[in-house]
Amino acid sequence: MRDLADEELMQLVRRGHAPAFEVVYDRHAGVAFSLAYRMCAQRAVAEDIVQEAFLSLWRSGARYDRTRGSVRTWILGIVHNRAIDALRRSAVRERGRVSNEGLEERLAASERTDLEVARREEARELRVALETLPGEQSRVIELAYFGGLTQTEIATLLDTPVGTVKGRMRLGLAKMRLALGDPAEVAR
Amino acid sequence: MSEQAHTQGACDGNAAPYVLGALSEAEHAAFVVHMETCAVCRDEVASLQVVADALPLAAPQLLPPPELKQRLMAQVRGEAAGAETPPERPRARRLPLWRPGFAPAVLAVAALIALLAVVLAGGGGTTTRSFRATVHPPGAAGVVTVSGTHAQLTLTGMPATERGRVYELWVKRGGAPAPTDALFTVTSAGRATVGVPGSAAGVKAVLVTSEPLGGSRTPTRPPAIVASIG
Repeated sequence: MRDLADEELMQLVRRGHAPAFEVVYDRHAGVAFSLAYRMCAQRAVAEDIVQEAFLSLWRSGARYDRTRGSVRTWILGIVHNRAIDALRRSAVRERGRVSNEGLEERLAASERTDLEVARREEARELRVALETLPGEQSRVIELAYFGGLTQTEIATLLDTPVGTVKGRMRLGLAKMRLALGDPAEVAR
Repeated sequence: MSEQAHTQGACDGNAAPYVLGALSEAEHAAFVVHMETCAVCRDEVASLQVVADALPLAAPQLLPPPELKQRLMAQVRGEAAGAETPPERPRARRLPLWRPGFAPAVLAVAALIALLAVVLAGGGGTTTRSFRATVHPPGAAGVVTVSGTHAQLTLTGMPATERGRVYELWVKRGGAPAPTDALFTVTSAGRATVGVPGSAAGVKAVLVTSEPLGGSRTPTRPPAIVASIG
């Protein structure tokens, strides 16, 4: 089962095969939880978002369309949208540095397999690509993607014209694309 | 190349905010429509989307709590078991058809049911009723058609859903609207035809909301469509 590709597992998930679903969860829950936690900074909220995202995959796997991206991209898209909804619903947005709630201590134990080591290396490359952007470009990308802010909210926050915010986003993403070579491979 | 230079022109520089999820609902809907006729924006979105798809890896990578998996798998296994159970129940209560005199009686009842079905189908026993829906998106229209126990919703002029969202159909019988597994998007012309899952008997209203991918168990947005039946 663990040797099957995601798309093969999804064919089983569509037929209600719980063990196949478990393998999909084991492969992608880490990055899904990390994204939700980075955005919401609250462990309970992040857990709810990940649980909802994977339950929707379990209940509506038939709607997964492989021509529109990988299983991983699909799951992370659901997590991202639900986290944005949670942020935009919440009256108080705390977008400071996330507290670790003891979670980062788990990292050392996670580096067990070659796959996990490769994932960590990809994550490092991504962070380097983001951190080496000019500060004003990485900031608007982080505020938008991880902070769930709209471009208008970012413009207000930074006291900058919306057009400048759009331009910084575009330049930053274009530079990251060049730095990463083929980001589709990283996202897979 | 200046930052402002990218935002000039008819396309308004919305490709990057689009892939980052930084457009408001109205901006998003307008950009989706714009992309249908703008190859430049479609290409730019495709180019930038791959970077946005990789961004989750820029977050510090954590292990999800083990109890999250325990809760999730308990629910999934429960639903998997529940899905397998119903077909077994009628078999357990099956009556012994080989009992003398019983099988002919069953056949007679079956023949009567078949005859009744033919009479109803051919004699106008099934009527079709249509109910116009209250529609909130400007320019949209919706009609629910009920024929026997089957209901179908037909929509025109509906706006495309925002990125990461689908339309979800809800059925109201008594209390709160109940979710269905009818999740859908509309064609580029704003059309959709959706069968209402289950029997139409007892259905008081059919509603449509915009929900995150995968649907919701309770509505997260006000209904875009409300069609009262009966």
